[in-house]
Amino acid sequence: MGPAPAGAQLRGAAGDAEMMEPALEGTVKEGKKESSKKHTVAGSPVEGLLKPVKLSRAELYKEPTSEELNCLRETESLFHSSLLRLQVEELLKEVRLSEKKKERIDAFLWKVNQRIMRVPSTPETELTDQTWLPAGVRVPLHQVPYTVKGCFRFLPPAQITVVGSYLLGTCIRPDINVDVALTMPREILQDKDGLNQRYFRKRALYLAHLAHHLAQDPLFDSVHFSYTNGCHLKPLLLLRPHGKDEHLVTVRLHPCPPPDFFRPCRLLPSKNNVRSAWYRGQSPPGDGSPEPPTPHYNTWVLQDTALKSHVQLLSTVLGSALGLKDGVVLLKVWLRQRELDKGLGGFSGFLVSMLVAFLVSTRKIHNTMSGYQVLRSVLQFLATTDLTVNGISLCFSSDPSLPALADFHQAFPVVFLDSSGRLNLCADVTASTYHQVQHEARLSMVLLDSKAEDGFQLLLMTPKPMIRAFDHVLHLCPLSRLQAACHRLKLWPELQDHGGDYVSATLGPLTTLLEQGLGSRLHLLAHSRPAVSEWDISQDPPKHRDSGTLTLGLLLRPEGLTSVLELGPEADQPEAADFRQFWGSRSELRRFQDGAIREAVVWEAVSMSQKRLIPHQVVTHLLALHADIPEACVHYMGGLLDALIQGLKETSSTGEEALAAAVRCYDELSRLLWGLEGLPLTVSAVQGAHPVLRYTEVFPPTPVWPAYSFHEHLRERASLLPRPDKPCPAYVEPMTVVCHLEGSGQWPQDAEAIQRVRAAFQLRLAELLTQQHGLQCRATATHTDVLKDGFVFRIRVAYQREPQVLKEMQSPEGMISLRDTPASLSLEKDTKQMPLLTSALHGLQQQHPAFSGVARLAKRWVRAQLLGEEFTDESLDLVAAALFLHPEPFTPPSSPQVGFLRFLFLVSTFDWKNNPLIVNLNNELTVEEQAEIRSGFLATRTQFPVMVIITPQDRKNSIWTQDGPSPQILQQLMVLAAEALPILEKQLMDPRGPGDIRTVFRPPLDMYDVLIRLSPRHIPRHRQAVDSPAASFCRGLLSEPGPLSLMPVLGYDPPQLYLAQLREAYGDLALFFYDQHGGEVIGVLWKPTSFQPHPFKASNTKGRMVVLQGGELVMVPNVEAILEDFAILGEGLVRAVDARSERWTV
Amino acid sequence: MVARRRKRAARNAEEVPSPPGYSAIPIKFSEKQQASHYLYVREHRVREGTKSSWPQKRTLFVLNVPPYCTEECLSRLLSPCGPVQSVELQGKPELTESSKEPKSKFFHPKPVPGFQVAYVVFQKPNGVSAALALKGPLLVSTESHPVKSGIHKWISDYADSVQDPEALRVEVDTFMEAYDKKIAEEEAKAKEEEGVPDDEGWVKVTRRGRRPVLPRTEAASLRVLEREKRKRARKELLNFYAWQHRETKMEHLAQLRKKFEEDKQRIELMRAQRKFRPY
Repeated sequence: MGPAPAGAQLRGAAGDAEMMEPALEGTVKEGKKESSKKHTVAGSPVEGLLKPVKLSRAELYKEPTSEELNCLRETESLFHSSLLRLQVEELLKEVRLSEKKKERIDAFLWKVNQRIMRVPSTPETELTDQTWLPAGVRVPLHQVPYTVKGCFRFLPPAQITVVGSYLLGTCIRPDINVDVALTMPREILQDKDGLNQRYFRKRALYLAHLAHHLAQDPLFDSVHFSYTNGCHLKPLLLLRPHGKDEHLVTVRLHPCPPPDFFRPCRLLPSKNNVRSAWYRGQSPPGDGSPEPPTPHYNTWVLQDTALKSHVQLLSTVLGSALGLKDGVVLLKVWLRQRELDKGLGGFSGFLVSMLVAFLVSTRKIHNTMSGYQVLRSVLQFLATTDLTVNGISLCFSSDPSLPALADFHQAFPVVFLDSSGRLNLCADVTASTYHQVQHEARLSMVLLDSKAEDGFQLLLMTPKPMIRAFDHVLHLCPLSRLQAACHRLKLWPELQDHGGDYVSATLGPLTTLLEQGLGSRLHLLAHSRPAVSEWDISQDPPKHRDSGTLTLGLLLRPEGLTSVLELGPEADQPEAADFRQFWGSRSELRRFQDGAIREAVVWEAVSMSQKRLIPHQVVTHLLALHADIPEACVHYMGGLLDALIQGLKETSSTGEEALAAAVRCYDELSRLLWGLEGLPLTVSAVQGAHPVLRYTEVFPPTPVWPAYSFHEHLRERASLLPRPDKPCPAYVEPMTVVCHLEGSGQWPQDAEAIQRVRAAFQLRLAELLTQQHGLQCRATATHTDVLKDGFVFRIRVAYQREPQVLKEMQSPEGMISLRDTPASLSLEKDTKQMPLLTSALHGLQQQHPAFSGVARLAKRWVRAQLLGEEFTDESLDLVAAALFLHPEPFTPPSSPQVGFLRFLFLVSTFDWKNNPLIVNLNNELTVEEQAEIRSGFLATRTQFPVMVIITPQDRKNSIWTQDGPSPQILQQLMVLAAEALPILEKQLMDPRGPGDIRTVFRPPLDMYDVLIRLSPRHIPRHRQAVDSPAASFCRGLLSEPGPLSLMPVLGYDPPQLYLAQLREAYGDLALFFYDQHGGEVIGVLWKPTSFQPHPFKASNTKGRMVVLQGGELVMVPNVEAILEDFAILGEGLVRAVDARSERWTV
Repeated sequence: MVARRRKRAARNAEEVPSPPGYSAIPIKFSEKQQASHYLYVREHRVREGTKSSWPQKRTLFVLNVPPYCTEECLSRLLSPCGPVQSVELQGKPELTESSKEPKSKFFHPKPVPGFQVAYVVFQKPNGVSAALALKGPLLVSTESHPVKSGIHKWISDYADSVQDPEALRVEVDTFMEAYDKKIAEEEAKAKEEEGVPDDEGWVKVTRRGRRPVLPRTEAASLRVLEREKRKRARKELLNFYAWQHRETKMEHLAQLRKKFEEDKQRIELMRAQRKFRPY
């Protein structure tokens, strides 16, 4: 009996919506087990739900021990709160390496050491003669140009030392790396090996030979090559243990020169060590121009010489200070969540450790500080200093032979010198990367200072992938185009410096170019760092063009996006030539209103959505002009989702303009209402109460001009009616406007009478608007419909005191008290809360122009998943608003795309059971009030609905989610969002193009028990469907303004009427799901509990029948008759009823 | 599906099961339908002493009336059993007839119908017994009396929802006239009584007197209490005695402990949800 058990969680959606079902959490089973195990532990989380803590008086007020007092005091002084302290401790436990594993790693390292020493040496050969290398191994270096002087032989390393984070105890899980430095014996190297990559060639050959011998050893599971921090001149060897320890550790072998082999003065940033004659294969130009300096090349050599001194420095600083180590670990996690630490020029964990060492040496950090304080201090330092202008140095000696900071600033964008004063630790860090780090640090500081409850979560636990962090993202692909860009940008010296790596050579100039071009539109430009590849030792190293794609992220500045004009200098100024050169053919001379004649660039953009995409035009234009990268190679991901909220005929706009037109019309109407003469009471307020008036209606209304011939006429009431023989007329939804009338002693104090007086006002309003302004009106007892310029408004007269009158109750003693009643609550919601919300969100739209797009995309998606009717419009709008008001750890979205991705992320990860979503509209709630709401929430969780949204206007009730969703529906939404997010992100991050962007908007239909298919003829919004039909029916609209003497058909949507009937009649037995935007299918799910046979009860016979079962008379749903009813009730609309009867049994 | 058809055929042949005291009458929308709903009917009876406005003996109590079946329709379907006096459809069984005066169609729009119960009053008691013996199946919509459903019904509902403003005005005016009259009478009565002592010499004090009194509402009394409390709090000395000092310190500690416990619980939960795996 009952539906088959196979099915989604949704199926559990039987009437019992009183409390959170355990089904809400995926980890329920675990939770249950745990709770049964430790039944006695007070307050253990049962089924993932927090319970208010109850401590006995004796426990609360017992004498404190000194230990406890100390602990509490420490928490107060070192951490922000006890919660934060516990969280940090937990996180450290999670990422730290356990002692047990350390022992195993140490044992492995010892074995590695032995094996390396046993590798046989080879006779000396010319560097260019590589025939001695065995067949199974390739040199892990691009040897371009191949010819180079010098000899090589292999000798076992003079010294093997462990360096890096493993030694310091600051390495973090997963993927533990142990860096091992192999000091090459002096005999291998010769004088002048610093020149022309000779040292690097030897280093590579050294590794190749080593790799060949180690690969034959059964101790290792895999032996691979990779690059040190992505620097392709410096390969390294990766060793992974064999057997079950395969993922335990990766040992990375770095060959390095013997100490004091290179003379530091030869490796200063201004020196050249790669001769043009050798590199370009041509004689130097005769004019005697100096060789270009090779600062990066020099740095890479220096890095190898300094490995040991760095680790010594770090171990003396971090040494015994646990807090500092914790801090470094936290910082590493912080960087990793922001994808900042990987690749060439990443802000690696090593850099951060050195930064901590610097701050210790300048006494900004003290040994006794906690990890949290170290994190805070470093972020504070990053946020407030600018290393691109004022570099820092760990070297405090005043040796005059040392180069000045200024020299380094000339050669590198970011300067942070090590203790030798010669090596720039940030040599590979580009300005963009550094600015991104600064930006993140600033955001994090704001977050830490705001004392937000979940600061820890947002700071350290929330990943910030590029696609979700940046408004627009663009991929440059294929990368080989960058080689051409190198030529065009004349980057020969850089190429020589980078040893032919054209990707990193062009990165700096390209980002500068785009930053300059985007100017005021841009907040931050970030680039992805090419991934560090790994390859088998029998293969050649991957080519530069194979290192994936270059992805750029643009964080836009909304206020800069409104302008279509790039204003240049006046035509006769000398800068004008530069401007013309920069913009090329797009620059034109223009005369402005103030008489000035200036160079200017004008972009074609009319609508909001086009203006948002101006950066696309700028980027493609500049890349084509200056870097020779054609448009076909730039894959811009910015407005792909716009198509889903575009109107039927408008492909150039995402509806912001149409919404603004409707709002303008509403403003005019409200002025008319204010100025109306002849009303017995004056209008005290006119407030919008409809999604259109807060810019969140998915498809904005367009002015309607109905064709009269298409409709039946009801002349005496000046109205049009639908005709049964024609397709359903266009759907026109009136926009609700609440019109408050002034209070007066004349108002009756009786609910029924107030209703009548309001009706009289509705009639009078219609009369006056027709008389004084010639508007077509139609009055009913509760509202007046007004047709103005093709828009239809529904004016509801309201009286401020009416909810109070409905609430009044008289006790037997004659005391009048106020108690909420369903009627008063719904009236308050419609006439008070809704207008407040509408105006607040209207304000939000003025502040954040992308709000409309995000809210509408979000709503569109929820509706497309057939769940739209389970969530109120307002609740979804508020969730979207939360993305703008509480964007941490991001910034408020400036494009619908990124906002939608974050909506999916929020929906799929938010813990509704234990947290209210606080939407602090207009910033009216103080931090203390929010904390109070949170604690009050836990204590009274059971009185709240499943999904709780708190706003300043609605602090106690969460009115917009009172009537739904049920726990199962919410869970379903979370599941769908969690599935949609990775799919969509993958599509957007795919440089070959996103494919079908509508994939995530198509609902899964296989979980429903019955599908009712509707005929498009009677679906008025058929054209709005996700996969818009090529052709649909005529809906009786004229394309031009026609006569307006008859009221068009209002709010007539057959599918909605049908659903209302279905829910009323069969709501006890089944759930109905439908996409109101042109859905052709209604999904029906039977409720399992209603399929349980139960004894006859007079009050519960709806749609059921009595059957004899096992000798007893029981009631079961009369499914066959009900299926036929589905067709009868929707006669004309229903095309077919697909019963998937294999899914249930009666 | 086939198996189920067969089962249904078998079911049709034998007696339709019905709960004790009720008899089942199959009802279908029209000839075309194959399966039918069942009306469960019995004579309307109430326990001794319970008040019911439905006439005994002559009233038929009908359960499970399908949504497309209207009052007229039910009346037509049962008229072969005897002349029907009235039919009333309700959402759930209720013992009393709804208030006699018809509700205004402007202010109380008809709800969307679902499955309903009906009280059918026959003119004569034998109508009830005839109805109990009905075999059916009853057809709601026939060629002579078609019942609208689907698109046609929605269109006619829409036409009905377009109200006549004149009729509305007339209704509002009559209601307000009556209301005004009622209010005027009450006021006149109150004025008459004002200041006049009753039999025992008590004088009723009202809002309209020369010196207005505090209104008797909950809010007002709460306000008074609040003011009292504040007055008392102002008089108290804080942290004056040593024990007070001790107690505030202890209170602070207790707060911290409570917070600590709460936080520990939170952490426990987060650990269970694997919230500490950063990536």
